Amino acid sequence: MSDFSKLYSYILNKEHHEHRHFVDWNLAEEYSSKKLSPIERMSDRFTRLCREEHAVILKNEQIVFLRTVANLPKIFTDGEWEEIRKKHYIHGPGLMCNLSPNYYDTISQGLLKKREDADEYGKKAIDNVIALSDKYLEEAKKQGRNDLVEVLTQVPRYPARNFREALQFFRILHFGLWLEGNYQNTIGRFDKNVYPYLKADMDSGVHTCESALELLEDFFLSFNKDSDLYVGVQQGDNGQSMMLGGIDENGNDTFNLLSELCLRASCNNKMIDPKINLRVSKSTPVERYTMATKLTKAGLGFPQYSNDDVVIPALEKMGYSHSDAANYTVAACWEFIIPGVGTDVVNISAMSYPKAVDTALHGGLEKANSYEEFFALVKEEIQKECDSICRRINNLWFLPSPFMRVLMDCDIYNGGKYNNFGIHGTGISTAADSLAAIKKYVFEEKSIGKADLIRAIDENFENTPELLHKLRFEAPKLGNNDDFVDSIATELLDAFSDALKGKTNCRGGIYRAGTGSAMYYLWHADRIGASADGRRAKEPFGANYSVSLFAKVKGPVSVIASMTKQHFENAMNGGPLTLEFHQSIFADDDGVEKVGLLVKSFIDRGGHQLQLNTVNLDKMLDAQKHPENHRQLIVRVWGWSAYFVELDKEYQDHVIARQAYTV
Amino acid sequence: MTGIIFDIKEMAVHDGPGIRTTVFLKGCPLRCRWCHNPEGLSPSVQLMYKNTRCKNCKSCQKKCDHTECSPFGRCIHACPENCLEISGKKVSAKELADELKKSAAVLGNDFGGFTFSGGEPLFQHRFLLELIDELKDHHLCIETSGYADSKIFESVINKLDLVIMDIKLADSELHKKYTGVSNGQIIKNFEILQNSGKAYIIRTPLIPGITDTKDNLDAIKELIGNGKWEKLPYNTMAGAKYKMMGIDFELKMPQE
Repeated sequence: MSDFSKLYSYILNKEHHEHRHFVDWNLAEEYSSKKLSPIERMSDRFTRLCREEHAVILKNEQIVFLRTVANLPKIFTDGEWEEIRKKHYIHGPGLMCNLSPNYYDTISQGLLKKREDADEYGKKAIDNVIALSDKYLEEAKKQGRNDLVEVLTQVPRYPARNFREALQFFRILHFGLWLEGNYQNTIGRFDKNVYPYLKADMDSGVHTCESALELLEDFFLSFNKDSDLYVGVQQGDNGQSMMLGGIDENGNDTFNLLSELCLRASCNNKMIDPKINLRVSKSTPVERYTMATKLTKAGLGFPQYSNDDVVIPALEKMGYSHSDAANYTVAACWEFIIPGVGTDVVNISAMSYPKAVDTALHGGLEKANSYEEFFALVKEEIQKECDSICRRINNLWFLPSPFMRVLMDCDIYNGGKYNNFGIHGTGISTAADSLAAIKKYVFEEKSIGKADLIRAIDENFENTPELLHKLRFEAPKLGNNDDFVDSIATELLDAFSDALKGKTNCRGGIYRAGTGSAMYYLWHADRIGASADGRRAKEPFGANYSVSLFAKVKGPVSVIASMTKQHFENAMNGGPLTLEFHQSIFADDDGVEKVGLLVKSFIDRGGHQLQLNTVNLDKMLDAQKHPENHRQLIVRVWGWSAYFVELDKEYQDHVIARQAYTV
Repeated sequence: MTGIIFDIKEMAVHDGPGIRTTVFLKGCPLRCRWCHNPEGLSPSVQLMYKNTRCKNCKSCQKKCDHTECSPFGRCIHACPENCLEISGKKVSAKELADELKKSAAVLGNDFGGFTFSGGEPLFQHRFLLELIDELKDHHLCIETSGYADSKIFESVINKLDLVIMDIKLADSELHKKYTGVSNGQIIKNFEILQNSGKAYIIRTPLIPGITDTKDNLDAIKELIGNGKWEKLPYNTMAGAKYKMMGIDFELKMPQE
C-alpha cells in the first residue's frame, strides 16, 4: 500500500474523526450580556475557535489542516435571533454563502500584505489564521517534517512560491472560511489561477505530471476530511464546486495541464468533493469531451458542463461587465456567480410551475373558452407568485464574516458589484406536460371534459384508470422533440423570466429567473395533488431542467433536441438538464467517446448546462437493503453528489425513480 | 410503402460510429435460439405484457371499442401501470424517415447517423430500400444476419456506408440446428460483401457451448480472413423479454 493509499483509507474510514472534540461554550448568553454587536460576536467566536483548534498532522499527509472542533457554538440567544428575524429577511441560516472568494489573489500576495488594507476585524481574523498556522508549523518541526516546515514558514504569511505552497495556502484559507461559519464555500476557477505555479515547477523540473498529480490527489482528499461537518439540506450539499476551463476576458481558452490533472485526480480519488464543473463552448475540441467523460464514467455525477457561448452573453445581458461575465464560475450547485466581486443571492427562493397550472385549473379551466385563455391564466398565476416572492424579500441581512470579507474584492456587507437574486423554477416538465394534455384533450380533441378532468385529479385518478393511462402514457411529453409540448416549455420559461423582468430587489439588483429546482422538486410536489400529466399526488417532479420522471421519451437525442429550444438568454440563473446513463454504456472506449460526442452536440446546439449521471439501479436497490455494503456508492442529487446511503429515503427514491429515462 | 417496426433506439452505441439512432424492423426468417429481440421475430403486431407491474386491477378486461385492441381481447389503453404494450407499429417509409430526420441535427457530423436492425431488416427489403432513399443524406448502416436473396442483399448494401453482418456458425448443419436455416446463402452474401468494397464488420455472438467453441471461432476466422471481426458477449437479459411475449425461452446452455 502506498503512503497516499494509507492516508486515503484512513480518511475514507473516518478514522481521523478520533481527533475531533465538541466545545460546550455558552457564547450566546455571554455575548448577549455583554451586548456585543454581530460582527464582534463572529470575530470573537473565530478567535476562540482558532485558539481551540490544535494541529494534527496525519501520517503521509502533504496538505495539512484538519478540523478538530466538531461544532460551532451559537452566537445569538434564541430570543435575539427571533428579534433579528422579525426585522430582516434571513436567507437560510443567515450566513454568507455561495460566494466565490478570491483565494488566488491572497495566495499571490500573502496574508501579511492583505492585512495592510483589511479592516479592524479582518486584521484580527488574519492574525488568528496565522497563529493557527503557526501551531501546524510547530507540530511539523516536532515531527521532523522538514518539507512542511519549509511550506508553513512561507505560507500563509507570504506569497506562495510554488505549486505545493499554493495548494497548502488554499487549504488554509478554505479551512478558515468554514471555521468562521460561512457555508457553500465554492472553489472557483482553480486551474486558471493555480496553473502558473504548476507551470513554473514543471519548467524548473521540481514536478513531473505524475508527481503533480499525486500532490493534487492529496489536495483533493483534503476537501473530504471535514466535509461531513458542513451539512446543507442533505449530507454532501456543501458547495465545494470547482470550475475548470473556460475562456478568459480576451476570449482565450484557459484549459491547461492542471485542468487535465484535476479531471484525473477526481477520477482516481472517486470522492464527492471537490465537485467538478467544466466550462466548454463550440470551439472545445472533441478530445476534451472524451477526457471529461472518463470522469462521468467513474460515476461521481460530474463533471457538470456550462456553455460559455450561452452563459456569458446572457450574463452580459443581465448587466454583468464582459470581463466579469467571462470570469463566471458556479455556486454550490449550478448557479452562475462572479468570483471576488459578486454577492448575488442565487437561490433566494423558488417558483413552482405546476402550482401555477394547478391554481389556474381549479380556478379557471371551466370558464376558459380556449387553450390560449387558459394559458393566460397560468401566466397570471406565475406573475402573481413572482410578485409575492419578491414582495416578501425585504431588508435582507447576513451575519458579517470578517475573514470572508478579507477574501472578497468588494464590500460584502453592503453589497458587492452585483447584488442580484436568483429564483429557481420548479417542475417545468410536469407543468408543460400537464398543459399539453389539457390543450390536446380538453381544447383540441374535446375528448376529456373540463369537470371530469378536475374531478379525476382531485380524486388522484382512483376511479379513472383509463384517464390516468391516457394522460400518463399516451399524452405528449416534453423530451420527445415534439414542438407541441416543447413550445409550451418555452412559453413557460418565457413567462417566468418576463414575470421577473423590471423588478428591483432590496439591494438594488435584479431578479434572475433560473432553470434549477434545488430540493423544491420534492417540497413543491407536496404542495399540490395529482396533475393533468397523469402524475399521481405525492409523486415528485423531475429535478432541475429535466423531463418528467415517468415520461416515456425516445432517448437522449430527442431529450437534447427538446431541451435546447428554449430562450435561456432570459433565464440564466443556472440549472442543468440531466441525462442518466446506465454504467454499461461506458463499458468500452467507444461508448465513452460517443457520450462525449453527445455532450458536444448539446453544447453546439446552444444548450446552457448539462449534467450526466452514471447509474446502476440494482446497486441502488441493494444499497437500500444493505447500506453497509455500499458505503462508497455515489449519486448525484440535485446539484451535488453524495454518498447514496447517507441520503434520506425520499431523496434516494427520487434518484431511483430517475431510472425511468436511463439509456 | 408501409413497413412494420418494433423499436427506435437513440444513442445506440454498439450499432456503428458516432451518435446513432437504430430502427428495429419487425420480422425475421431465422430462429436463433439465443435471440435477444424475440419481439423482432414475427412480422405482425403483438401484445407485450409486463406482469411484474400488474396489480390485478382488471382494468384491461373491460370491453372497449378500440380497433387496435380487438385482436387481443384486452384493452391496451386502460392499464394504470402500463403493463400492456403493443409491439409493432405500421408506418410508411416517408413518415418514419421524417420522424428520424427531426432529431438528425443532434447526431452531429462525426459519422452520426442511422442503423437498420431487427429482426432481419432485409426481410422487409422493399420498405427498407425506400427508407434508405429517404435518408440518403445521412451515414447509414445495417445490422443483418446476411440471410436474404443475393440480389436483394446487394441492392441494399450498395446504398449503405457500413454493413454489420453476423456470422454465427461456420458449420452449415449446426447453423441449421441453432438458427433454423443453413448458412449457404449467408456465406454467399458475405463473399458479395467482401467484393463490394463496402466498409463492413463481421460479428459473432458468443453463445456458451454453441458459437464460442474453438472449432467454430477458428472456422469463422478462416472464412473471413483479415476482415474486421467483433465477438459479442451473450446478453443474459433475453429471458425476461420472452416472458413478456408469452413465449417459452428455449435456449438451454449445453453445460447446464
